This record gives sequence, C-alpha cells and structure tokens, in this order.
Amino acid sequence: MAVQGRIRSGRTTAERRATLLAGYRPLPGSYDEFIDARGSVRPHWEPFLDEWCALTQGELGQRFGLADRHVHDTGVSYRVNGDLDARDPSAGERAWPLSHVPLVISGAEWQTISAGIAQRAELLSTLLDDIYGPGELVAKGLLPAAAITGSPDYLRPLHGAPGAAALQLYAADLGRGPDGRWWVLEDRTQAPSGTGYALENRLALTRAFPDMFRSMNIERLAAFFQGFRAGLVSRSKRVDPRICLLTPGPLNESYFEQAYLARYLGLLLVEGGDLAMHENRVHVRTIAGLKRADVIWRRIDGDFADPLELNARSQLGVAGLVQAVREGQVHIANGLGTGVVEARALMSFLPALAERLLGEELILPNVATWWCGQPKEREMVLARLEDMCVAPAFRHAGTTEARPVVAGELSASERDALRTKIATQGLNYVGQEIARLSTMPVYEGGRLAPHPMTLRVFAAATPDGWKVMPGGFCRISDEPDARAVSMRNGVRSSDVWVTSQTPVEQVTLLPTADRIPIRRITGTLPSRAADNLFWLGRYLERGEAVLRSVRALLGRLIDADTPAPGRIKAQKQLGDLLVSWGATPSGKGQRAATQVHHALHSLDDYGSAAASLREARRTASIIRERLSVDAWRLFGDLQRQLTPTGERPLPEGEAYELADRALKTLAAFSGLSQENMVRGPGWRFLDIGRRIERGIATCRFARQFAEPDASSESLDALLDLTDSQITYRSRYMIGASLLPVLDLVMLDPYNPRSFAFQVDRLDAEIKALPSLTESGMLEEPRRLALRLAADCRTVEADRLDRARILLFEQSLMGLSGAVADRYFLQNGGPERSRLTGIA
Amino acid sequence: MIYDIRHVTTYGYSRTVPFARCVLRLLPRDDAGQSVQKSELAITPRPAERSDGLCFFGNRMTMATITKPHRELRVEMRARVTVERAPAPHPGLTRSWEEVAELALGSASLAPDSPAHQIYPSRLVPAVPAVVAYARESFGAGRPILEAASELMARIRRDFTYDPDATEVSTPLAEAFAERHGVCQDFAHIMIAGLRGLGLPAAYVSGYIRTIPPPGQKRLEGADASHAWATIWCGPEIGWIGLDPTNDLIVADDHIVTAVGRDYADVAPLDGVLVGPGSQKIGIAVDVIPVG
Repeated sequence: MAVQGRIRSGRTTAERRATLLAGYRPLPGSYDEFIDARGSVRPHWEPFLDEWCALTQGELGQRFGLADRHVHDTGVSYRVNGDLDARDPSAGERAWPLSHVPLVISGAEWQTISAGIAQRAELLSTLLDDIYGPGELVAKGLLPAAAITGSPDYLRPLHGAPGAAALQLYAADLGRGPDGRWWVLEDRTQAPSGTGYALENRLALTRAFPDMFRSMNIERLAAFFQGFRAGLVSRSKRVDPRICLLTPGPLNESYFEQAYLARYLGLLLVEGGDLAMHENRVHVRTIAGLKRADVIWRRIDGDFADPLELNARSQLGVAGLVQAVREGQVHIANGLGTGVVEARALMSFLPALAERLLGEELILPNVATWWCGQPKEREMVLARLEDMCVAPAFRHAGTTEARPVVAGELSASERDALRTKIATQGLNYVGQEIARLSTMPVYEGGRLAPHPMTLRVFAAATPDGWKVMPGGFCRISDEPDARAVSMRNGVRSSDVWVTSQTPVEQVTLLPTADRIPIRRITGTLPSRAADNLFWLGRYLERGEAVLRSVRALLGRLIDADTPAPGRIKAQKQLGDLLVSWGATPSGKGQRAATQVHHALHSLDDYGSAAASLREARRTASIIRERLSVDAWRLFGDLQRQLTPTGERPLPEGEAYELADRALKTLAAFSGLSQENMVRGPGWRFLDIGRRIERGIATCRFARQFAEPDASSESLDALLDLTDSQITYRSRYMIGASLLPVLDLVMLDPYNPRSFAFQVDRLDAEIKALPSLTESGMLEEPRRLALRLAADCRTVEADRLDRARILLFEQSLMGLSGAVADRYFLQNGGPERSRLTGIA
Repeated sequence: MIYDIRHVTTYGYSRTVPFARCVLRLLPRDDAGQSVQKSELAITPRPAERSDGLCFFGNRMTMATITKPHRELRVEMRARVTVERAPAPHPGLTRSWEEVAELALGSASLAPDSPAHQIYPSRLVPAVPAVVAYARESFGAGRPILEAASELMARIRRDFTYDPDATEVSTPLAEAFAERHGVCQDFAHIMIAGLRGLGLPAAYVSGYIRTIPPPGQKRLEGADASHAWATIWCGPEIGWIGLDPTNDLIVADDHIVTAVGRDYADVAPLDGVLVGPGSQKIGIAVDVIPVG
C-alpha cells in the first residue's frame, strides 16, 4: 500500500509510467492494442507513452482542455436518434465525445490494412458492376440471384444506367480478433459517414499534442481528401464542374459532418428541395436562377433519391433524378445502387469471389458468415445455433430482428422461435461467428483502462486508383463486453495514428496555383441558403432591439433618484414596447424586474431576446457551412449569456450588465460579418435581413416615443434605443427636441442607425443582386426599394407624423415579402403533391 | 381473342398546376400469349418533355413533364391486343411447392422474369405472419404448387368481401386482411404476401378483364374497369401462371396484362409529382371491347 501510494503521487516520468501501466489490465481473451500478452508495451506505442508520461497531471488536463475546447468551439456535434425537434435542429445535438488517447498503429501493420481495404473496395466495385450490368456471376452460379434480390438497396430502375454502380467512397468497420488478425465486420458502400469526424478528431488531438504529432511522424489525412475530391471532379465532363453534397437536412444525425465536409472540400451543400430538374438535367435553385449540378455526392440513401422511380415516400430527393442518371446527365457518388453490397448475405460469398474476380485471397477476411438461404449452410447454422450470432441477411423490414442476436443468450422458447424462422424463412438470416474485439486504452479518472473498439477505415476512388485514408475513426465501447455484437453505436470516438518510419510529407488541401482558375465571387447561392441568411440577419437584429430596450429600461430604473418629469411615462412606454413585441407577457401591475426577466431569458415568449437568438441559432445551424468557426462560437456565448441562472429576476444592476454583455457579443458578430465575410450574395442577404429588421424596429421606436407632445424623457429614450445619443449631443446644444430627434432617427442618411440609412443600404444591396430579367425592367424588390429611398429623401421632419412612419414601416414589410418571393424557396421548395393513385 | 381497349383518366385540379412530372404505365406489354397490335398514349396538355421506354420488369413506361399551366390533366390510352394463351397445366401435375421454393432460392438469373425478384417482401407487400399462416393451410407437405395455390385463390374469393368503398390505394395489406374485405388490388397483395411468406415466387399484375353484360342488357360505355391479380412461378418448365383471386380464375384469354411487378407500386398506372394542385378530382373510363 505504501509503495502504491508513493507511485500514485509520482513526480517523475518513470513514476508516472509505472503508475499508468500498473493500473492497466487487458481483458482476458481479447487482444490489447497497447500491451502485449507478456504485459509489455507494444513498441509502436512507446513514443506516445514517453511523451504522455512527460506531462504532469495538470499539464495533461490543460492539453485535454485544448482539444475539448476545439470540439466545443467548432460546434462538432452529432444527433442522437429519436431526439428530433423540428423547431430547433440544434436541440438534439450532443457534443462529440472525444477520447483523448488515439489508437496508434504501426506503419508496417497499416500496410496490410490499407492493402486489404483497397482490395476489398476493388472487389466490391467489380461485383457492383456485374450486378447492375451483365449479371455473369449469377449466371455462372457463383452467387445466387436471391442473395442480391433480397436487398432493398438493389435498385432495379438503375440496372444498366451509367454510374449506377460506381463506388467512390468505401468504408469498412474492422475488429481485431484474439489472434491479432483484423476482420471486416461490416462493409459500408451506400453513403459512408465518418470522414469528417475523422478529420475533426485529428484537428482536436493535434491541438492537444502538436509536439507528439510531429515527433512520431504521424501520417497526414489531407492527401486522402485531395484524392477524393479529384475523384469527384474527374466524374464530370466539364472542366470546372459544380459539385454538390446532397444532405438529408439539419435533422440528420451527421448533418454537422456534412456541413463541415462541404466547407472543407469546397462543395455546395444542398437539400433535395434545392434541386430542380430541367430538360432532364439536375439544377440547383439559386438566387440567380437554375444552375446546373454536374456531380452530386449524396449522403441520402439511394432509394430516397427519386420519389418518382424509387421510394415514393421520400421527401429527400428530386423527382426525375433516375432518368437524368440513365441519360448520363449527372454523376452521383456513390452510385445510387451501391448499397446492395452492404448486405450480410453477400459476405459469405466474398472469399470465393475474390479468388474468381481478382485471382487473390482476401487480405482482410470478413467475419465468417453463412447465408441461410442455402440449404447446406442453413443446416449448419441450425446445428450450431448456440454458438452463433444470428443477424438479418438484408437491411429489410421483412425481419423482426433489427439487430444481430447471440442465439446462446436467448431463452429456450425464444431460441426455438428463431430456429423455426430460420428453417422456414432462411433467406432472411445469416449466421455469423461471434467476433471478439480488441481493446485500446481510454483515459478516465486519472488512469488508462482497456475498452473494446472497432476501427472504421475509408478508401476513395481517385484518378490514381484507390487511396486509403491513413487513419480513420475509432468507436470505443463503454461496456467491458468485447463481443462485436454487443457494440452499439460506440459511445466515444478517437483518432487513429499511423506512425511512419520517416518524416511525413506535408499536404494541404490548397490546390496548386496553375490548375485553378481565379475566381472572386462564387455565384451560386442556393435560394434556401439565401433565405436562411436573410432570417439570420432578421433574428439577430430583433434580438438586438429587445436587448437595447431592456437596457434602456434598466438604465432608467437604476437611475431612479433623479426623477425627471416624464421619466415614469418613458419607463412605461419601454415596458409597453416589450409587451407589444411579445418579449414579455402583458398584464397590469407586472413589475419591471419581472418584465425584464422575461424579455431577456424566456423561451416561452416568442419575442424575447433568448427566443429571437434561439431562432437565429436555428437558422444559422442550417447554413453552418457558411459561417466561420468564430461566428458559430458567438452563438454558444449568447446562449450561455441568456440562460437564466435562477427563477428569480436578477438585481437591476446585474441584469443591465447582462444585457450590455449580450449586446457586445452581438456587436462582435456584426463586426465579424462586416470584416470577415466576402461581399458576395450570401453577405448581402444577411445584411438585407438586418437592415429590414432594423428599419422596422426604428419605425416602431419612433411611433412609440416621438408623439407630437413627446417629453424630452421619451425622446431621450428614443435616442438611446437608436444609439444616436452622442451624435445628437454633438449636433445640438439643447436637450432632446422633437423635430431634430425625428430627423436624426428617421431621415438622416448619414446616421448609420437611421431609417433612411437602412433604406439606402437596402437599395444598394438589392441592386447588386443578380437579375433574372433581360428586358432591362426593374424587378419588384428593386422597384420597391428605390421608391422607398426616394420617399425618404424627399420628406421633411415636420411632415413625419405617426401615420407616415407607419406607412414607411409597411413599405419595408412589403419589401421583405418581395425579396422572399423573388429569391427564396417558398415553404422550403415548391409545394409538391402527388397524383392520387388509381387501381 | 382480340380486344380494343380504351382507358381515359382525367384529373381535375382546384388550382392551376404550373408543373407536373409524371410516370405512366398504361400501355400494355407484350407477354407470353399476348401481343400488342397497336397502341397509343395521348397526354393533354402536351408534355414539354416525354420519353417512352421499358422499365426493369419490361413494362412500358412513359415519363412526361408538363410545364404548361393546367387545371385538367387528361390521359387517354388506346390499344388493340391479341390474347392467345397456352392452356394452363393440370394443377395436380405441377411440382411440389417445396421444390419450387428451393428452385427459386437457387435461381441463377437476374433477368426481369426471374423468380428471385418475387420471393421477398416488397414495399406494399410486407411480411405479415397472419397472412402467411392463412396461406399455409392450403400448403400441405408435398402438395403440387398450382393445386395448392388455386385452393388459396378460391379461399380468398370465398372468405373475402369485394367492397370498393372499404379500402383505398394506401390501405395497408394487414388491415384489408384483418377486415376480410377490399378490391382486386388488396386480394392480389394478400395472395402474394401469403405465397412469398412460404418462400414462393409471386408477382403483381395490372391489366383488364373482359366483362360480359347481364343477358338482355347493352354494354355500358366506359363502365369497365382496370383490374389486378397475381401470377405465380411454378418451376422452370411451366414458368408463370396468372391467378385471379377476385374471380377465382386461372388467367386465360379473358385477361389482358398491362404490367407486372413486385406490387402495385411497381406498376401504378399513373404517378407523379405536381406543384400546387390544391385538391384533385379523378375521373376514369375504361372500355374493353372484344372485336374477334
């Protein structure tokens, strides 16, 4: 005990090493990645362990903090299934559970994995070509037709269509058995996810351990992505093709990853509603009209791609896509039909097919599988049922067992029922050997502990052949049960480090200068993105207006010992304003502090600052690929700031400071968008949204506070709300007086907070947007903006009564509607409906 | 037998439809014992784009895109078809159903008429244990397939009530089965589900049946209807035999095949995606006239 106690408080590298190793006990019967059978550290982990042990507990904590902050700041998240909330797509998101210890694999071992994955990708590719082409393997009796036709991903309409079987990205889940051999547990050919997470894990751990990363010669990932992108480009006949990433949308569990990859690879992120067919070609609906899509990297299942020829219930695809594929008008990666070879039923045939098609043995075997659609295999599985794992042969609604089960663990009656089903419906089942997984270290509670894991590896079809990502994506179980069948989705993930003997070559995704045409503005802004940017601008500005009103109200409450005439009325007016915006419930006798509490924090009051900024965050999450990491981070800050600390309202001083801080965060967002966003159409829509909302708010402020008999207190509040206090004081030596205030707030084109200024900006932004008319006639939004700008310029302050201000406000709302009609998808796309069926 | 068929479908919309993309499977196919002499499909308004071809299963398929704003869509199919099927084999002399199931499972063909396409559940024909149990009653050990399947067909005809108001295109098979009522489409689906549940290849057929007006009455124009039934695979020698559970008939020269697929979804006569139709009103008129 005394000895242990001393080691635990170890101060030196050697002591820390001894502590770590003493506490690490591999699971009996499993291979451990870190420690060999004799209890020694495997040599390729030594450099890692050295560096790790050189850090004190405190230093490690700091490193982990860096990685975790990276995860948090970039908003890396995934969605927990069944946790969907259409109103707030970011509601079901969970922060990415990153394990801080990578899986280290030696370069020599990786060569085998890499060769095995490339071989398997090639084999499955060849198989796919035959299934959707000549069908010789079936005709020659090497593969029963029923092992293919049972898959819901065998898409008959794609038979013979160019590219229907083209595999662009392949992934395999591997496990390592007790004898140290790697096995393929599952093939992923439909729309493999995880490349983006692998990249994110890498960035997070690089941030934590930059020195380790350099000294250990870890293989870089960028070249893989470069190859993948080049592969996509090569699928198009056009020199500079438009490549889209087709996402199921923000509610998908890996939407973050898709948005992240779209940005990293420079692809256009689109949903089915963004696509339109025209003359059998696929187009993206953009603010400049329809723009052709050449290559689509899909993250939706092939079956969902076309409601007309495939799954009629799909809302994710676009009608007519299959026809476009057939005519060779678009390339879809992976080909729509590629999911068919994911079926477990096929696994049993792969060893023989490898020999036949490639003349090679499988370098990476798959887990032993018997398809019960064959009489001999069925008998074998039934005879050995207790030692088997039984799984659905196909991804199919036809079987009740959605997941693999270990037959030996079922009750006698359950097992009998399973036996009957296999005997009568054998074609729906496979028997598989129960695979055991290896374990790898996870750092928890100050020590390392072994956890079962699987490894996802990726191969991309590039112009130079298959390229395997040197690394990947580990999924780590929290259960000590090392059988593969117990592995659920994996609760933690980690990076995979492939060590090289020699320093690795640095590759970035920045293309070489001679191949890339210079471009200053990317012209294609999808209408949906424009819509969301516009509303992001509006919600942000709405939140700001509420915060300003709250701050103005609190300022007057705090400063109550100098009661000027009209003060009480101005306070009441501010309170009324919050009520009329829905920021706080109406009701006589509401205390100001309660009103403020609602207006700041309440998510139930739709007009509160918290609710507006939640909406802003929701809209932003849909176009996350267009926002910088810094900008995204500000949403996290705002959310934290506006989350109430308790039920009771804050003291006035504290609430004032809170509103002030939140306004500063919003100002930071404005600053970022002003200084860092390219002045392309995306920025313009964000700005248009802000200007319209600010203009409307200014009109409302003016109507509330600039009555003909307004007191100087009320006018003072108006100057506060429009942030024009200083300008006013520098121009006029007198106190707030109606006409000068009205002119400054409404009509002065030089005051960036005035109504007139917003209108001028709107006219300029709209003028800069692409036009669809070739006749030289103005489009509706521009016509409205011009007219409003002219009205603003020609009216004088003494003619500006409340009716006139209301008219301005309404014109702005009309302009907002005209912008929406012209540039956005209505209700997320054209209203679609189906012909009702007839028999 | 030679038939002249006319099938007119009209969709009336409560609002103007500026855009529609449709797939039509109305033109009859050439089939074993059936040849199409001539056929045409007229679509109004005239589509901006139209392509005619065959689907995977060899059915005739027309894709049409209509970009002219319209309140009514009218599709008229006319065809002259000669039907002369070989007589069905004697049911008692067909292979045992277990043999047929193993042969289907071991099939070495992915061709459109391969039994391998028709042994699994499909979108509209899911595996429903109660339906399989119902079918199993006719399938004693070693029984010849056509004999057993004919009995199942007769039982469906006897046990189920034909009721056009009871179900819609979207009514799930399990519901029609539990209520023991439906139309030809439901009966075909139920029969297919039962057969597939036993591992037997069964497909869905859309088409027409010759109707004979009651004695002394004239044939009413447009009063015929489209029809649906099942077809089962009886082994490589015999191939596919049509069974019509609505009428308890083995398909012969009174049936005209339009299309064959896994279920209704594969052969839906008219399907499409429209922009903004409001509500829809459908009118259908069918004439099947024997001309010699």
